[in-house]
Amino acid sequence: MLKLQDLTKAYRTDEVETVALNNVNIEIEHGEFVATMGPSGCGKSTLLNIIGMLDTPTSGHYFFNGEDVAGYSEAQLGVIRKQHIGFIFQSFNLIDELSVFENIELALLYHDIPASERKERVAAVMDKVGIAHRAKHMPSQLSGGQQQRVAVARAVVGNQSMILADEPTGNLDTAHGQEVMEMLQKLNEEGTTIVMVTHSPSHADYARRTINLLDGHVVTESMRA
Amino acid sequence: MLYTNYLISAWRNIFKHPLFSAINILGLAIGLASCILIALFVRDEISYDSFWQKAENIYRTHITFSVPGRDPMYIAMTPGPVMEAIKRDYPQVEYAARISIQEPTVIVDNKYFVDFITLTDPDFTKIFELNLISGDVSQALTGTSSIILNETLAQKYFGGTTAVGQTLTIDFDVFKKDYVVAAVIEDMQKNSMVQAEAIIAIDEPAWIDQPYMFDAWFSTNSQLFFTTPSGTSIEDLASTLPDFVNRNFPKLPFGGEDIKTSDMISMEFMNIQDLHLNGNDDGEYHETGNKNTVIVFATVAALILFIAAINFMNLSTARASSRAKEVSLRKVMGASRKDLIVQFLGESILLTLLGLLIALTLVELVLPIYNDVLVKELAIAYTSNDIFMIVGLAIFVGILGGAYPAFILSHFRPAETLKANKSAETKTSVKLRYGLVIMQFSVSIALFVSTAVVYGQMLYAKNKDLGYNKENVLIVKEIYRDVVQEKLHFLVDEIGRMPGAVSVSWSNFMPGNSNNNNQIARTEGQSTEDGVLLGSRTIGYNYFSTYEIPMITGRDYSRERGDRSVSTKDLREGNFYTGSMIVNQSALGRLNLGTPEEAIGKVIYVGAGQPEENLTATYEVIGVVPDIHFDSLKLTIRPEIYELEPNYGSVLSARFTGNPNAFASQVQALWEQEIPSIPFDYDFVTDAVAKQYNAEQGQANMFAAFSGLAILIACLGLYGLASFTADRRTKEIGIRKVMGASVFDVVKLLVWQFSKPVLIANLIAWPVSYYAMSIWLENFVYRIEAFFIIGFCLIAGIVALLIAWGTVASNSMRVASANPVNALRYE
Repeated sequence: MLKLQDLTKAYRTDEVETVALNNVNIEIEHGEFVATMGPSGCGKSTLLNIIGMLDTPTSGHYFFNGEDVAGYSEAQLGVIRKQHIGFIFQSFNLIDELSVFENIELALLYHDIPASERKERVAAVMDKVGIAHRAKHMPSQLSGGQQQRVAVARAVVGNQSMILADEPTGNLDTAHGQEVMEMLQKLNEEGTTIVMVTHSPSHADYARRTINLLDGHVVTESMRA
Repeated sequence: MLYTNYLISAWRNIFKHPLFSAINILGLAIGLASCILIALFVRDEISYDSFWQKAENIYRTHITFSVPGRDPMYIAMTPGPVMEAIKRDYPQVEYAARISIQEPTVIVDNKYFVDFITLTDPDFTKIFELNLISGDVSQALTGTSSIILNETLAQKYFGGTTAVGQTLTIDFDVFKKDYVVAAVIEDMQKNSMVQAEAIIAIDEPAWIDQPYMFDAWFSTNSQLFFTTPSGTSIEDLASTLPDFVNRNFPKLPFGGEDIKTSDMISMEFMNIQDLHLNGNDDGEYHETGNKNTVIVFATVAALILFIAAINFMNLSTARASSRAKEVSLRKVMGASRKDLIVQFLGESILLTLLGLLIALTLVELVLPIYNDVLVKELAIAYTSNDIFMIVGLAIFVGILGGAYPAFILSHFRPAETLKANKSAETKTSVKLRYGLVIMQFSVSIALFVSTAVVYGQMLYAKNKDLGYNKENVLIVKEIYRDVVQEKLHFLVDEIGRMPGAVSVSWSNFMPGNSNNNNQIARTEGQSTEDGVLLGSRTIGYNYFSTYEIPMITGRDYSRERGDRSVSTKDLREGNFYTGSMIVNQSALGRLNLGTPEEAIGKVIYVGAGQPEENLTATYEVIGVVPDIHFDSLKLTIRPEIYELEPNYGSVLSARFTGNPNAFASQVQALWEQEIPSIPFDYDFVTDAVAKQYNAEQGQANMFAAFSGLAILIACLGLYGLASFTADRRTKEIGIRKVMGASVFDVVKLLVWQFSKPVLIANLIAWPVSYYAMSIWLENFVYRIEAFFIIGFCLIAGIVALLIAWGTVASNSMRVASANPVNALRYE
């Protein structure tokens, strides 16, 4: 599905150059569930942003479905992103002024999908993540776990083939964290590729492969049997 | 010190949020500057003549002639004999003086000048205080051979030498006489309807051959001022005016037996302080103001300040959440709500005072141009109360704009804001902000529409077909003077032979200047009492062809065809003959002459001399012209007769082709050679007509400038609000972009957010401005159709929307093209 080759990302300020990712080589296949771990500042989020095409590498190649997107413009990346990639954030990032239904629908709004079909798809995905009864609620009226389920629903409503989750359970208690992880696992079993950044080893265990990063390098890769 | 802490906090806040502060201070500065400028104008306009010691008790008499079939003729002058009658009939009248301003030739030491000379009665110095520089004014007007000069004229005539005691000669054409300078006075204050540069006493016997000047009951050539002792009720005095008129005025020669003189002639008294703003241009010597203009500008000033204050409220409340933490901490430290209100009000006053500093700089920079446009000498007197009033105004605006934000900000509860760290915005404050933006734009759009209508009307008036061709006509003035009259035909012939000359004629009026001469006329079979009052003008040969006015029927006056006029002198001597007459179309109806074709050859009788002489001149109609706008477009065209005056005129008109200035200088060369004693004074008809609109043009420009500023301030506010909102919505925009929204989608979203209030503002502004401006247009006899206002409304709406988009779009672009990662990384 994707392949990072000699990928480097450096941030430059006036005096200092900080290398967030250094010569990273990673390959992820369709249907994989990959967890990325490492201490704070090791480059996990940068890696996820580059994979999610929200950021571009300083050098190296990024093949997405065989296409080298490393030098693509923001607009070109946007087109690929909205077709293939869904996002889940630690802080949910729901829009406070929109209802649950509208938040999920947002992911379809920019896809030229007719209103009736949008309605069906949002209803279906709300059902799937178990928040159908909360459709008209505002995010502030939901618990953290419920908010994250809305975020998951939003990430998959457009039939994206890959979900990038940045510490999806970081703001949740154990029970709700568990719930979200099970949902991700279920999605993975249905064929969605998942790349997740996490601090929790137990949640990393849901993944079949774990990539450990340290100071911008891939240190180890371990496969779960 | 708590207050030092407030000050530090306020000062740092200003620099911490440069955009917010800049917009606020700049908006307030422009608002205050506009307000100060308008206030100076308004104060000057309402201050007219209030400085006289007896201001409360000085009155001027006005007269209105209401003749059947004509618009009432209101005049700021009074027939000369009224003064003596008033003094006799009203013992309450203390002092009374007539004022007539003439423009004779003044000869000093063989040098010729043309200046305004005020002819008045001895009481003048009792009514008006003159600030004496040298000499003695007390006896200056009791004789008829002294003159009082103001400083400017004394300097002009006598240079550095002492003027008092010197002699100068004044040539009134009617008579020529020496005057000894009795006193030199300071120049009179500009904000007065009494402006005297040189003052002499009215010498009635010297004017005896011109009874219309001071001795005729039906001619008005002077203004009449009088005083009463304080405490006299002017209403009581005025209530007996109809009796006064019936008792003193001769019976009108028409209208029939049952008509009382007071039915057609009414008089009124007006206090001197009201003259400027209630002036009617007829019979005024000085530019009058307009009460409505003053009210309109005062309103505009208030609106501008209001818009600036709204900016302040909007930006402060929008930014409130970012200060929630400071508020909460202060509360935790023990600050009461009152403390915080004081703090925030202090901050807004500080901002306003900074704005005021810039405003005063702007005012001082703009004042020279402003004074030029308004033809005034306005200035801020920093050492007087002005400065307290200005600072007071600034503090008022600071409180006006700061009160609501202070209320909102001081309201935050520490527990909520500190813990949740979430947006502290309430729905009400968001709604209020939109409401205020709607109000700002309603005002801006209404001002835009009003400006457009004012300009539209002015353009219409300027470009209206006046009935004559005003292009390429040179006007030579001063030809009524004796030295010129002798050479009138010679000048006309010489100018007519010049290269480029097309046609030359003369008249007793100038197109674009109003003319109030009237004569009583009747047709065959009508009795004297059936006579109608017609406007009357005198013209030379070929006048209509010079102005390219097509005759409806008949022909223009021609020397070759032997057209003649009937002279009053001949009538007095018993020489009777029939003259030629040209009338306009409206006159046909008034005289029952039928169609233009039927009118040709018919006889009309026109009153001549003074009414009591009962003289009648006989004329045959030889031509009919269309109704022509020789007067201002503010007046309806009168029914008029155009009498031939073969040997006399006050202005000469020459139609030419080619370069106007080249033609004028040829004429000037001829004039200077033939009439060296009178300075050459000329104009072009296009310019003379345009001058009628000078005051309106100046005020329209001023109105446009202030409307523009109001819109600018509103846009500044919108810009600030948009940038703030865009920042606040950064997270949402980030999410939308991650979801696949393009930059364009996001810009659209933000721009639409600000289009809504502008659209709603249109719905409010349109009906209001339509209503107001259609009433305003009713002031004009000839005006643009009301449906133009609808067009202007649409244009204003579109322009407002475009301006709002332009203002918001740059911010939106910035936020929309930002990388969403930055927005979403931190929460």
